[in-house]
Amino acid sequence: MREKSTTIYLGPQHPGITGNMMVKLQLEGDTIVKAQTHVGYLHRAFEKLIERRNWMQTTTILCRFCVPEPDPPEAAFALAVEQIEGREVPERGKYLRSLVLELARIQSFLLWYAGQSGSAGLYTVGQWSVGDRNYVLDLFEELTGGRIYHMYIWPGGVRRDIPVGFKDKVLRTMDYIEKRIDDYDRMIFDSAIFQKRAQGVGIINKEKAIEWGVVGAPLRGCGIAHDVRKDNPYDAYDKLDFQMGVFEGGDVWARAKVRQFEIRQSISMVRQIIQNLPAGDFLNKMPNPMKWTIPAGSAYGKVESVRGEFGFHVVSDGSDKPRRVHARGPAYVHGVSLLEDILVGENLADVSFIMNSLGVCPPEIER
Amino acid sequence: MYNDNNAQTIVEYIKNFTRKNSLFMLAYGTGCGAIELPATLTSRYDAERLGVRGAATPRQADLLLITGYLSTKTLKRVIRVYEQMQDPKYVIGFGSCTINGGMYWDSYNTIKLLDKYIPVDVYINGCMPRPESVIAGFKELQRLIAEGKADGATKYKENLDWYRENQKKVLKNWPLVEYNW
Amino acid sequence: MKTSFIKEELLFQQLATAFENVVIEIVRKETVFVYASKEFVLPILLYAKEKLGYNSFSHLSCVDWIENDEFELVYIIWSPETKINLFVKTRIDRQNPTMENTDMIWRQINTYQREIREMFGIEFPGFVGEKEFILEDWEDVPPMRRDFDTLEYVNDTFFEREGREDKQDVRERIAKRSGEEIPDFAKKYSRE
Repeated sequence: MREKSTTIYLGPQHPGITGNMMVKLQLEGDTIVKAQTHVGYLHRAFEKLIERRNWMQTTTILCRFCVPEPDPPEAAFALAVEQIEGREVPERGKYLRSLVLELARIQSFLLWYAGQSGSAGLYTVGQWSVGDRNYVLDLFEELTGGRIYHMYIWPGGVRRDIPVGFKDKVLRTMDYIEKRIDDYDRMIFDSAIFQKRAQGVGIINKEKAIEWGVVGAPLRGCGIAHDVRKDNPYDAYDKLDFQMGVFEGGDVWARAKVRQFEIRQSISMVRQIIQNLPAGDFLNKMPNPMKWTIPAGSAYGKVESVRGEFGFHVVSDGSDKPRRVHARGPAYVHGVSLLEDILVGENLADVSFIMNSLGVCPPEIER
Repeated sequence: MYNDNNAQTIVEYIKNFTRKNSLFMLAYGTGCGAIELPATLTSRYDAERLGVRGAATPRQADLLLITGYLSTKTLKRVIRVYEQMQDPKYVIGFGSCTINGGMYWDSYNTIKLLDKYIPVDVYINGCMPRPESVIAGFKELQRLIAEGKADGATKYKENLDWYRENQKKVLKNWPLVEYNW
Repeated sequence: MKTSFIKEELLFQQLATAFENVVIEIVRKETVFVYASKEFVLPILLYAKEKLGYNSFSHLSCVDWIENDEFELVYIIWSPETKINLFVKTRIDRQNPTMENTDMIWRQINTYQREIREMFGIEFPGFVGEKEFILEDWEDVPPMRRDFDTLEYVNDTFFEREGREDKQDVRERIAKRSGEEIPDFAKKYSRE
């Protein structure tokens, strides 16, 4: 007997969906036979707005590309502009950039802990990790003035130097978080519920990963060692000692293991940066921001965000405004057509679980 | 409130008292402000001590948070969601972009004035508002409810034609559902 | 500081021997531009993927050069061995913009093409994908084109909150309303 097929619209208003998007699912029983993603609910026309702003004014827009981790877009754009302009970044500026990027990774990992475990029904970890994330945000607030949006990384360096006593605070916070993530791991990875739900779900194999252009933790979860920080080192990453977490399997479990490994690497990198922070300038001398022009040219700047490679294609025509800026976040590849492909054959209850593990973040898909 | 000059009847007072202390807000992140909501609801700021907590579906929710800019595509869904919610219902506009467009003042896809499309009871400004100001906004809404002044839903029902006209100006090709109020 | 471009030179040689009608430029470290006419894009991408190991697709972007009446499509691919970003650039006519469909090489190009079709109005014959991607019920010019004026559209479509004409200092009124006191240090910043 054939089961009757039903159509379900999951989202845009749905507590399980990671942000404001919709997945149209065709079900037989509770097995998905066809999935179709609908995005565009958060389209703000950033790329159009950037064409109307001058180079300095873009900084307020850039951090808003991706809400859970606003620093990688700033860094990628700054890298692209520096490539076109040939501007050097002082050594201290490079280290401070890496410091902010790694702190941003840590706070984003803590948010991921909440999302991933919450979608499996383990709500306790979410209460802990989002509460502890506030300590990282406090560091940001002291360093940059903002909890979420920092506007800290500029082409040519960073906006300001670290305040007095900041190093100690960072180290204390890192000690605290390192102690706490052991607790989270015991709650998540030792939990039979999580193990049963994560293993063998949402599998991406190696061939599919290359064909679909998977990046970041999902790619390293398929056993392919790729990390922009290792392959095309930017900022201070060529001087830091860290390892990529590469795990086999390609399922939600492997991706979770990658992230579990990498948050500890990030903490160790923050410690290295604080210990080796060189003296000197943090910002290359800027021209008058109202008259700042960039020579004609184009470049592609990319950084590794928590969810994968974040790239900016920047085109300048020699005027005081960008000609075209096109962003490509990791969710742009993961969240639209790849999601449609891997959801087929999965269970309805696992949709938000898989979306969380892929790091689907709608604001950066539609920008 | 009960003993004030503009006194409510005891029934109204009890009604408002119970309403203000159990605000179930709809878990619908319409914009980037939604990133501060996990922080507001979890251990450090803990909005649940004020009786604010998440609800999964519009029909169980009292409070709709418009967390930031609304693109026209989302506006359509928000109106639908708002009309599905049952009385009493309140709306909080969250962030500068709901007040006057904020940094999206020249974007072709976001609306600039939220209160032309749905009634707003409390605005919280800032980009983005910190958890403290979100909680201050909740407290302000509770004060309005206790005084019986949070009457956005009644305003919407009374001026439905005006709101519909504004909505139709932005949303083309939408067969607007006529609800039986 | 003199930088050596050994691996970039090698790529230059490989591409120059395989294709005749293309212009290759080593722009900077780990960045090589290839300018080709639009019928050569698909062969170059295929050759780079199959023979040279550029198996990672990074980006597809479109630039509107309205003064030349052209759209520029930029394909950026990357190789895990050489770690070079290879830009394949092509210019197409702006009046009748069509481009070959390339989503059989990398499946993710599907998403980029959907976006470009919607935002610039470029057609990709033979390409399967939902018509609407980001926008809904859009009737105007494709919005990312340079001749679409977003401010004009905003003024026509949306309401605008009027600013305060009198430029009053409202702090005292607010303070009186909420029963707070303005601290002394703040009084000297008054607008008068």
